[in-house]
Amino acid sequence: MPIQADEVLDCKGLSCPMPILKLAKAMKTLEVGKVLELLSTDPGSKGDVPAWCSKTGQELLGIEEEEGVYKIFVKRLK
Amino acid sequence: MPESNAEKSILQELWDNMFAKSWPMWVGGILLAVGNICLFIVLKPWGASGGILNWGQNIFNSLGIISFGSEESPLPGTGAHPYSVLCFLMLLGSFAAALMSKEFALRFAPAGEIIKGLIGGLLMGVGAIIGKSCTIGGFFSGFPALSLGAVIFTIGLAIGVWFALRYLLWEMEKFPNISMGKTATFCSAGTKGKSIQPWLGVILLIVAVVIAANYSGGGNKVLASYVLISLFFGFVCQRSRFCLVRALREPFMTGESAPAIGVMAGILVGMFGFAVIKYMNVGTPTEMIWVWPHFWLPAIIGGVIFGLGMTVAGGCTVGSIWRAGEGHIKLWASIIGMVIAMPITAKFIAPPFYEALPASMKSQAYLPQMVGSYPGAVAIFLVIILLWYVFVKWNERTGRFSAI
Repeated sequence: MPIQADEVLDCKGLSCPMPILKLAKAMKTLEVGKVLELLSTDPGSKGDVPAWCSKTGQELLGIEEEEGVYKIFVKRLK
Repeated sequence: MPESNAEKSILQELWDNMFAKSWPMWVGGILLAVGNICLFIVLKPWGASGGILNWGQNIFNSLGIISFGSEESPLPGTGAHPYSVLCFLMLLGSFAAALMSKEFALRFAPAGEIIKGLIGGLLMGVGAIIGKSCTIGGFFSGFPALSLGAVIFTIGLAIGVWFALRYLLWEMEKFPNISMGKTATFCSAGTKGKSIQPWLGVILLIVAVVIAANYSGGGNKVLASYVLISLFFGFVCQRSRFCLVRALREPFMTGESAPAIGVMAGILVGMFGFAVIKYMNVGTPTEMIWVWPHFWLPAIIGGVIFGLGMTVAGGCTVGSIWRAGEGHIKLWASIIGMVIAMPITAKFIAPPFYEALPASMKSQAYLPQMVGSYPGAVAIFLVIILLWYVFVKWNERTGRFSAI
């Protein structure tokens, strides 16, 4: 079943560290319990975003890949 | 398709372990250190900015804008300069690794980001020439070379990283449009059906071996070895996403300690190898190899400028090379910036700057000479690395210096 996102953050074309900086900024305004879908084309995001989630206590729901775009779903827990 | 290990052949499982997931950065650090020791035995330790400088000098010469080299000491061509060859083969190695792991794609960043790549590259070009080294020669190889100037250069890098990170956070708040805009991605492996990327990667590896055989057939064992070791460097950097910017930046950004520990692992392994080579005087090297005459003023100035540049670009010299091999156009712009700035700085800025400095501010600070013994020098470096380790781990737990 596909994961439903409440907001989409487009980081396509960006390389490290911009996707993580933008994710951190976007999470501040996302409501607790909502899901953010981060779109990235940087292979680094596949490792960086899960590491950031476990560090900051947010939930990584999954990573999907479609034609060179990584869709990373993060749920705000706190 | 997720499959259980029981259904996979042994070779398929091996391939997936190599290419389906990135390697931990400490694995990369240790492998790179082993390559670095081999390179030192062949000729000299790992460095990267010398190669890009040579690229730039040759390009300026062929365009006829500024001329480099003289009749007595002609400029070596890119195919005859070991570090030029090294940079080219690193690019090839990371390109092959990205293809084999189906991570290659041409990724066009928004125009603002590409300009940041260029500016970062220009700053790195100036910093590397003023400071006589980059993150490799003045840090990842500089610590193992037991150079005190490398410690100063690295402190400069950290200061530059801190300020540039403040800039990036400020830019995101005030000018979010710089990192937004039209982007495009081409040639990605795709997710449906089989991709030809892994096969192209294997072909590239074969091409590199042919290049090495060509040098070896011409009697140039040194360059043949450089070709293969540099290919290995590029390959390992891409697979482990080895990043010296992250090692210095993450404590101030996310607080993650893993990148710093990956670099420490590489420095520790490298240091024991280098200390033995220098102590035993293996091969042609002298003790003072990779102990740059930059202690202390050029090291701190060059380090700060380089640190600013690499954080804005999102990759140091090596980080730009391997990410360029993976297809990030922003890091191509960073390489172009270095290619432009390095020869110009080397010709017009560095000579008068060094001329004006008293000898006490541009010395070669070789720690074993300063403390009178090799074990003493190694012990001091171990204490420095231990303090660094305690700092990044404590900071990871407390988030004291982390911005996000």
